[in-house]
This record gives sequence, structure tokens and C-alpha cells, in this order.
Amino acid sequence: MRIVRAETRKRVHHGEPMILFAVGGTTFAIAAAEVDEIRDLSGLEPLHPAHLGPKFAKFKHTLQRDGRTYFVVDANTHFRVLPTRHTRLLVLRGAPAAVLVDAIDRMTEIASLRPLPKAFAGEERDWYRGLALLKEDVVPVVAPGAFLSKAEGIVLKAALEKQAAKGAVAG
Amino acid sequence: MTRTFKGEPSFVLFPLGKKRFALPAGVVTELARPDRLRSFPHTTRMLAGVLLRRGQIVPVCDIAPVLVGEDAAPRKFFLIANRYFGNTREWTAIPVSGECELASTELLPVTGKLPRYVIGLLSLADEIVQVLDLGLLHAAEATA
Repeated sequence: MRIVRAETRKRVHHGEPMILFAVGGTTFAIAAAEVDEIRDLSGLEPLHPAHLGPKFAKFKHTLQRDGRTYFVVDANTHFRVLPTRHTRLLVLRGAPAAVLVDAIDRMTEIASLRPLPKAFAGEERDWYRGLALLKEDVVPVVAPGAFLSKAEGIVLKAALEKQAAKGAVAG
Repeated sequence: MTRTFKGEPSFVLFPLGKKRFALPAGVVTELARPDRLRSFPHTTRMLAGVLLRRGQIVPVCDIAPVLVGEDAAPRKFFLIANRYFGNTREWTAIPVSGECELASTELLPVTGKLPRYVIGLLSLADEIVQVLDLGLLHAAEATA
């Protein structure tokens, strides 16, 4: 006779942990795994990338953190909504980017992510990974990569280095 | 196009302000009662947000400003229609001003200069109703 061990109990995943945050009266979600830190607005340095064109208008600050420069995205400009008062900064994990938001709502788990309906055909296809249902609400789940693309990061870094070199020469 | 037993095609007539428009009955799935519109930032023209309908997320497409102008009467109901993206079918909710009506009548060809999204005309007792193609309407607005 052989006694077989019962199947190893698998860890139950109820869903993907998300951080809910508010920008301009809308609640958004971002995967908690994509956020390295939530902090206040101290330590922000102004950035003036106007000469780089309107696409870079959303980058208004930089943040020095652990010897690394983060480009800070104004979420209102990114999502094309009217300005509101920011109180929190989401520092992203996978890129040298941080996002200015109005407030952090709470953490939650999202069981399933619905695809964005195909009727949405604009920039939102890049902004969102999909839509989540939270009770009776529909919450867009942001795609963190849309805040700072690799190309934007390279251009901004080069502009910053140029600015620093100019400052050194002038000094 | 849906046809009645008499062989005439059917259309769903819907009001937008003082005017009525029509969709082929085959693309319409239901007339829904007012529901809470959920909106979030996007850049797609005519989209007003989404509805939750039987567990599905349904985009809401407000076509009234294009068809009757910005002063369209308040929309009270949602006409839910199918929209095709290649082989994929998706529901679209269209806010309308009042009750809808089913009509079976001949589809007359377009006369005069009308937008491409008007695919035909219905001659009713005291009005001429434009029959719309939702896909062409969206395409026209996207390139406007």
C-alpha cells in the first residue's frame, strides 16, 4: 500500500494588489508592485523642458533619490485634465519616474482586469492596462510605462546633462 | 439587416432633441433605463464614459452633438447597439432623448448632400428619418 501525500496546498491569490489614487476627481489604480515609495512633495527640483516641445510639458520637476534622478510627471497634464492640488508623489519601481497625484485613497486587490473597450481609440490605449470593477465603480488601471517612455527618459537625461554643463561653464 | 415577415427591413427610431434618427434593428440590442455614467480621462471623440450593463463595461457614445448640435435635449435613456471592430463585436450605449420605436419600411437611397454615415432614408407619415451607420459615424468624427 502506498500513502500519497495530499496535493500541496496552493497559495490562494485573490487578486492583484493595487494602490488607488486620485487625480482631478478621478480614481485610478496602479499595481502596488510598480510603486517603490509613496512620499510627500519635499525635495522636488523644478525642471523646465519647454524647449523640448509640448510632449515634455508633463515633466515639471526632478527628484534626487538614492543617488538617482527621477523625472516627475504631473498626472493632470499626462491625463489631460485640469490642474488640481497635488499632495503625494508615487515613485515608480521600473523606471526613473515619479508621479504627482492629488491623494492616495487606499490599497485593494483587483480580481480581474477587463480590457479597455475598443471604442476607446485615443491615447488612453497607452495610458491604461485595462479597467477594474470595484463594487459599482469602474477604475482605470494605469500602465506605468506610459508615464515615462525609454525615449523620453533618454531625451530628458541628455537635456539635464546639457543644462548642468552650461551651469558649470557659466559658474 | 433585420427583415419582417413582409420582407421589409426593420429600423429602431430614436429621438435626439426634436429630430429622430434610425439604426438598422439588427444592430440594436436593447433600450436601457438611465444608469450612472462612469467617466475617466481619455482622448476619444464622442465617448462620454462607460456604463455597467449585466456585468459588462459598455462604452457610452454621445452622438447628439454631432447630429443635432451642442444644444441637444437631455438624454434620458441608452440605446445599446452593436459596433464592429474587424471581427470583434462590442456593445455601445447611445444616449437618446426619449422612447424608441420599431418601424418596418423600405430603406430609400440617400438624396442630396448628406454625410457618408447616413446610409439611407425612411419616409414616414410626416417626417424623413436618416438611417445611420455607427461605424462610419465614428470614423467620420475620428478624422474630423
